Amino acid sequence: MSIYSSAVKRPIMTTLCFVAITIMGLFSLSTLPIDLFPDIETNTIMVMTSYPGASAQDIEQNVTRPLENTLNSVEHLKHITSKSRENISVITLEFEFGYDIDALTNDVRDKLDMVESALPDDAENPIIFKFSTDMIPILMLSVQAEESMPGLYKILDDAVANPLARVDGVGSVSISGAPKREIHIYVDPIKLEAYNLTIESISAIVAAENRNIPGGSFDIGSDTYSLRVQGEFDSPEQMSNIVVGSQNGKNIFLKDVARIDDSLEERAQQTHTNGKKGAMIIIQKQSGANSVEISNKVLEMLPSLQKRLPADVKLGIIVDTSDNIRNTINSLVETVLYALLFVVIVVFSFLGRWRATMIICITIPISLIASFIYLAMTGTSLNIISLSSLSISIGMVVDDAIVVLENVTTHIERGSDPKQAAVHGTNEVGISVIASTLTLIAVFFPLTLVTGMTGVLFQQLGWMVTIMMIISTTCALSLTPMLCSQLLRKDVKHGIVYKIFFTPINKFLDFIDYVYGRSLDFVVRHKFSTIIVCTAIFIASIGLLKFVGTEFFPTSDDGRLGVSLELPIGTRVEIADEVTARLSDEWTKKYPEIKVLNYTTGQASSDNTFASLQDNGSHIVSMNIKLSDPGERERGIVEIAELMRQDLKNYPEFKKAQVNVGGSRGSGMSGQATIDYEIYGYDFEETDSVAQQLKKVLQNTKGTADIVISRSDYQPEYQVDFDREKLAIYGLNLQTAAAYVRNRINGSIASLYREDGEEYDIKVMYAPEHRTSVSDIENILIYSSAGNAVRIKDVGTVVERFSPPTIERKDRERIITVSAVVSGEVPMNKVIETTQAAIDKMELPSGIAIELSGSYEDQQESFGDLMMLGLLIIILVYIVMAAQFESYSYPSIIMTSIPFAFTGIFGLLFLTGHNLNVMSMIGGIMLIGIVVKNGIVLIDYITLNRERGLSIRRSVIDGGESRLRPIVMTALTTILGMVPMAVSTGQGAEMWQPMGVAVIGGLTFSTLLTLFYVPAMYCLFAAFGVKRTRRALRKAKGIKKTKKAKKSKAKKQNAKKENKQIESPSENNSTIVIDDNNADNNDNETNDQLPNDEQK
Amino acid sequence: MKSILITFDQAYYERIVDMLERNNCRGFTAWQEVQGRGSIKGEPHYGSHAWPSLASAIITVVEDNRVESVLKILHEMDLATPKLGLRAFVWNIEQTI
Repeated sequence: MSIYSSAVKRPIMTTLCFVAITIMGLFSLSTLPIDLFPDIETNTIMVMTSYPGASAQDIEQNVTRPLENTLNSVEHLKHITSKSRENISVITLEFEFGYDIDALTNDVRDKLDMVESALPDDAENPIIFKFSTDMIPILMLSVQAEESMPGLYKILDDAVANPLARVDGVGSVSISGAPKREIHIYVDPIKLEAYNLTIESISAIVAAENRNIPGGSFDIGSDTYSLRVQGEFDSPEQMSNIVVGSQNGKNIFLKDVARIDDSLEERAQQTHTNGKKGAMIIIQKQSGANSVEISNKVLEMLPSLQKRLPADVKLGIIVDTSDNIRNTINSLVETVLYALLFVVIVVFSFLGRWRATMIICITIPISLIASFIYLAMTGTSLNIISLSSLSISIGMVVDDAIVVLENVTTHIERGSDPKQAAVHGTNEVGISVIASTLTLIAVFFPLTLVTGMTGVLFQQLGWMVTIMMIISTTCALSLTPMLCSQLLRKDVKHGIVYKIFFTPINKFLDFIDYVYGRSLDFVVRHKFSTIIVCTAIFIASIGLLKFVGTEFFPTSDDGRLGVSLELPIGTRVEIADEVTARLSDEWTKKYPEIKVLNYTTGQASSDNTFASLQDNGSHIVSMNIKLSDPGERERGIVEIAELMRQDLKNYPEFKKAQVNVGGSRGSGMSGQATIDYEIYGYDFEETDSVAQQLKKVLQNTKGTADIVISRSDYQPEYQVDFDREKLAIYGLNLQTAAAYVRNRINGSIASLYREDGEEYDIKVMYAPEHRTSVSDIENILIYSSAGNAVRIKDVGTVVERFSPPTIERKDRERIITVSAVVSGEVPMNKVIETTQAAIDKMELPSGIAIELSGSYEDQQESFGDLMMLGLLIIILVYIVMAAQFESYSYPSIIMTSIPFAFTGIFGLLFLTGHNLNVMSMIGGIMLIGIVVKNGIVLIDYITLNRERGLSIRRSVIDGGESRLRPIVMTALTTILGMVPMAVSTGQGAEMWQPMGVAVIGGLTFSTLLTLFYVPAMYCLFAAFGVKRTRRALRKAKGIKKTKKAKKSKAKKQNAKKENKQIESPSENNSTIVIDDNNADNNDNETNDQLPNDEQK
Repeated sequence: MKSILITFDQAYYERIVDMLERNNCRGFTAWQEVQGRGSIKGEPHYGSHAWPSLASAIITVVEDNRVESVLKILHEMDLATPKLGLRAFVWNIEQTI
């Protein structure tokens, strides 16, 4: 028994089966986490090797190169890049997407084991470090403080960071901008010299005084007591009374030579939020944890945490990545609901019956909800991709149900009982419903096989749509007939409302049918001209390609800007602070869109995980700006970023300035695209000069902004050059001498001061006022082991030098990257064309090569992948159709309508000013399946008419007229389903707009053209077919082309004359014409079943 | 005894079996799926792509006095829904076992 007859016979079982699916789907939905994108597994591994004391070039030669050579043989490696700077080599391995990173890490570890022995003896073991998206902070909290500033670190650590770190899923909580407490012993070098003391001796004494020593235990009477010496300082002031030496029999106290300064770290990052000083709390999640969930929990906790803080400390939010996720998902959910509404309206106005509309619309939620089960089972999330899939599918899942319902209705109208009609009606169309679903699956299933980054994204889309299509077909073959048998009535009586609403609609549709019928008649008569006109339109549209730009991903407006500023290297942090404060004031006044502006200056301490991963230094400023929601402001994020870039030009203090949309530069899918030119070459000076030239070229190109050369400048520094001979005379060695310098300038950590369970460093060093000039360093006294003092200037010289910059390499060659942001006024491909032309004119020194990478490389790769995919899909769709029609030529006719979809895509993209990007390409690929569906419906009915004995021309005209409504209806459901996507302005809308636009443009245009082009092509092919059959017949019968042919020619001419007088369908035509020269012109009069008749 | 061969669109099947029951015609033999077309204008029932509908056939052997009433009901059915197609043919039964 077939699925539909059992479904009709057992309505309760059928209903409950689908109810069960719905309940499971809804349950799955309630458990689904929300995220922006599907889980993208990390594809980079870093290998860090430190070799203390080696210069950048030494590191490159002795560490980086051997490691690179070995690691290069790891499988699936895409690029190997490295940075060699003083003391450390960092190699980044970028792998192809879609491979198990754990297995790759093991491979890397094996290779490292092999090469370890070849590394220099002093080099430490290489450390493997996996970078993943999990390390991107999910929340950044701002802290504003006034009086509590000095103790802020401790306050935040106790009252905020620790409780937050206990939240499930939170990985690490770091505090930046709140310097830690440190106790300084600022020594006066002149007094030291006078008392013959050294920093080292003071250090040792402080350490010796600050001790708790257990003295063992002893017995008194019947009890045992333990004995202790509690010498640790209770307060920093106690230290001032330590005796550090004696002079002339008198004690010298610490307070005589130094002052105790209980304050904060000297070099620390400072954070300002909205102009007020404070700190920043950065929250990273554990890998695999859900950002939205964590951020919800953290936000819930904030009010209670706020209560625990002193009154002047205020917590706020700078960046909440989940906010963007939530808004994006909400606006997408809205889009999905609108799409649902539009589709229901279309179905209702075409069918005109609420019962029928209800039957069809029930399939939509069931198919959509069922797909949530898949999401829950595979452990993925509700994200942009899965929700877009829902939106795309809404228009398509109704198609099968419509076909079934229409046929069942026909049966009922012929007089069948609804139950019988449901079974037989479904039986008749079952195969074609399955076939049309198969064509769509042929399009979407290959999406699950794409590799690369696009693959990671679109696998989910492929699976989701495939599953929804299968469910909707199952629904159409079981639930729909069951509902038809229960709900449809034999005699429908229409009320007055129906008449008022639907009489005009029906009249209009009848009119359209009529007009289409007439125009088809015209087209069939002028098939060659039709085909030529259509082809001409397509060729003309290719010309549009010149005007439609290409890009990788659209820039999305998540209301987040990251600004990174660099002053000339070595600039003091105070200056950076002052300039940035000015800039932040200006921006807050100028851009009312700014909700939070937070900036951090200064060098990060090494125990701040987040900050130490980023570039930092006294001259580097990083700024985070949160704008209001995109819906609330008029200026888009790209526009604001551009204005900010202009503003930055008025600040000559900044040597490098970048304004990054979306937070960080080139952040794959959401930020602005970047063009990276890679200059390969060994010689520093040559590559530097090429980089400068290239920078100029890019600056002069329209549409670029924020041009940055990756190689940093030579860093100025002072070096102490000791004269080894002189050192030897004084009985010193270099290490001792260098340690003296370090202890005076950087300070020596004498001991730890304990208070309330926390430990703080006690540092002994020169007072700040005594380390401000070269002469201060030159005058440092070094004591030999014999106790003789000598000044640095006597054993060496202090000179200013430039330390060489970091050496960057990619794929085992030295490289400089010159990168620019594509600002958006000119599409990426245009910018590249212009710069490429300029580069071609440049005279490059030999051995230097320039290559293009960045978003452009990704784009080219993805476009290549998608093109391959398109080809694969076309072949699959052809196979499905050829199998369905059992013919090679009909599918070819239908396939020829695909180019018109692209005409429509380019046309509408051009009109709406969108670019061709990965999203619109995906739209185009989906169209392959949707467009051919129209052709299938049309050709299927035309062949049916021919099988019923109509002439070619009649079959085409009748078939066209009767299939117009279903074609327009299914096209309209898909188009209107996409409209909310294309016009939505919510957060993240930039992302899916191009896809909506592409589908709408392509489908509208191709549907319109398919309605004329395919019939014309069909006539042409069918005529060839008839000719061929006749020729074969003639051969078989041995009929010669003699008298008979001449006779028939005369006959045909007569017939033509008659035909001009009366144009009538010739269903029972039995004219025998065997003349293949005229078969083409003659097809309308000739019964195409004629070969069969002849065989009889 | 007379036999009635009823050929009809599949959709009639249950109604006809029901009608026979009500007319005390217990015995019958049915072919669920048969193909055919009417002599004058009946739409072909081929179960093919062009003519997807199918017909069924029932042969029932009844007492002579039943024939009239059965045929009358069948004719009414046909008139009510002429598009489906229903035909009945009667002939004599010579012998049975």
